[in-house]
Amino acid sequence: MKAYDTIVVGAGPAGTTAALIMAQKGLKVLLLERGDVPGAKNMFGGMLPNSPVLDEFLPGFWEQAPWERHVVKRILTITGDTSATSIVFESQNFDHQPYNGYTLFRPHFDKWYAEKARQFGVTLITGCLVEDLLIKGKTVTGIRVGKDEVKAPMVVLCDGALSLLARKAGFCEQPKPSEMALGVKALFFLKEEEINERFNLVRRQGVTQEFLGCTEGIRGGGFIYTQTETLSVGLVFHLDSLKQSGIAPYDVFQRFLASDPLQKTLRGARLMEYSAHVLPEGGYGAVQRLFSDGVLLAGDAAGLCYTNGLNQEGMNLAITSGLFAGETVVDALETGDFSARVLAQYGNRLKESFVLKDMKTFEKTVDLMHNDRLFSVYPKLIGTIMEQIYRSDGKPRKKFGRLGWDAVKEALPLKQAILDLIKGGKSLA
Amino acid sequence: MIVDDIFDLVSYHIHEEAHIKVNHDICQSCIHRACTFMCPARCYQWNPENSRIDFAYEACLECGTCLLVCDKGALDWNYPKGGFGVRFRLT
Repeated sequence: MKAYDTIVVGAGPAGTTAALIMAQKGLKVLLLERGDVPGAKNMFGGMLPNSPVLDEFLPGFWEQAPWERHVVKRILTITGDTSATSIVFESQNFDHQPYNGYTLFRPHFDKWYAEKARQFGVTLITGCLVEDLLIKGKTVTGIRVGKDEVKAPMVVLCDGALSLLARKAGFCEQPKPSEMALGVKALFFLKEEEINERFNLVRRQGVTQEFLGCTEGIRGGGFIYTQTETLSVGLVFHLDSLKQSGIAPYDVFQRFLASDPLQKTLRGARLMEYSAHVLPEGGYGAVQRLFSDGVLLAGDAAGLCYTNGLNQEGMNLAITSGLFAGETVVDALETGDFSARVLAQYGNRLKESFVLKDMKTFEKTVDLMHNDRLFSVYPKLIGTIMEQIYRSDGKPRKKFGRLGWDAVKEALPLKQAILDLIKGGKSLA
Repeated sequence: MIVDDIFDLVSYHIHEEAHIKVNHDICQSCIHRACTFMCPARCYQWNPENSRIDFAYEACLECGTCLLVCDKGALDWNYPKGGFGVRFRLT
């Protein structure tokens, strides 16, 4: 077998970016993907937030990449038992290039992207499961596939949220259920015109809708993303909270799909596909080892994924970390030093960029997201208050402040509400 | 229900050998049996007749939930061999 400078495990957005960058710089790169096409194993909400670096290393990226709609509208819907309160944000600034976010299909996008990497000279092998890392002393020296061993000075691990390889090699602990979430998703076909009409969109405009309070008290939320003529609809659950609930995710999902707001959106839509995967949800505090002698971790494998309640980011962090990983390997190869000391540059670059800066900024938000009341008491409370504000029943109205105060007092101990408010304020403000 | 129609909705290339192996002896000491309700593909079911977990790997979505919630370490958890297992078409 020919000699490679680097082996990249996983042809998702992180791995393919790393491989492509290194090939552009003249390295011999082997990119291994366990799916029979890149993207066959990847599950995603989803929206790819604008990632300016893509246009830098692949000029004209967005003109060529297979995306579905550009997102101009973001909706947050808070559901009560019999009500839904929505905040709709729509911006004309998101309606011209560079667009702010794109919906896409991963089996299409990842396949196209890996093909781009191949055009730069990356050797892509699909249907290839890397079973182990080769380790000599404390240094990673290659990979094992079945009985075959391939050695290389550097290995870049982009093998997804579970990162079995890093765990097997002892670089990382198995993620705790409290740091991970389960996403379940159904894809529905709906005519393009119907989608445009239901969400008030034109051309290739798209929308994302997040739901809070729809998970039966389990910490998590719901989502709808619009593709050209499909809707991605799903729920995300914190694993520890789902475990505690004793409820099956597909049962909650079925009831979510049958709920009033979803029924209206999905009227006449045809179910096409079902998927599920875990995702990192532990934020900055759960990011484990990013590098070790002879190896770098990028994307979900490194735990680079977060939400602050309004932003859900992962794929852009994967792409950017893949870029830094690739560039770090190029530098390491020039010096011939692949030790953790040199690879620390990778960690520093992540820390200096939006990737770890954003995760750090919202570090405390993870605690807020682990407050059960945010998913049960508070969404209901908002429904109660809004309904009282709008209800006309021949009885005298209260001032809004009084009404809110009374509703809060009825819903939970006041001390608790104040503590939550302070904690929530601190984590976001 | 969606999970009842999983083989109509999801495409698979099923390997003849299970990629996850369940150690039934270890399962006996489990009190929560979280895998039986948390697996989004309903691969794990408690069989009261012989008091053990029935595991069917064929519908596995390779999501990782069972691995993360099994606190007894009863699972020898691997991905299917290259090119096998779930094959998402669009999602």
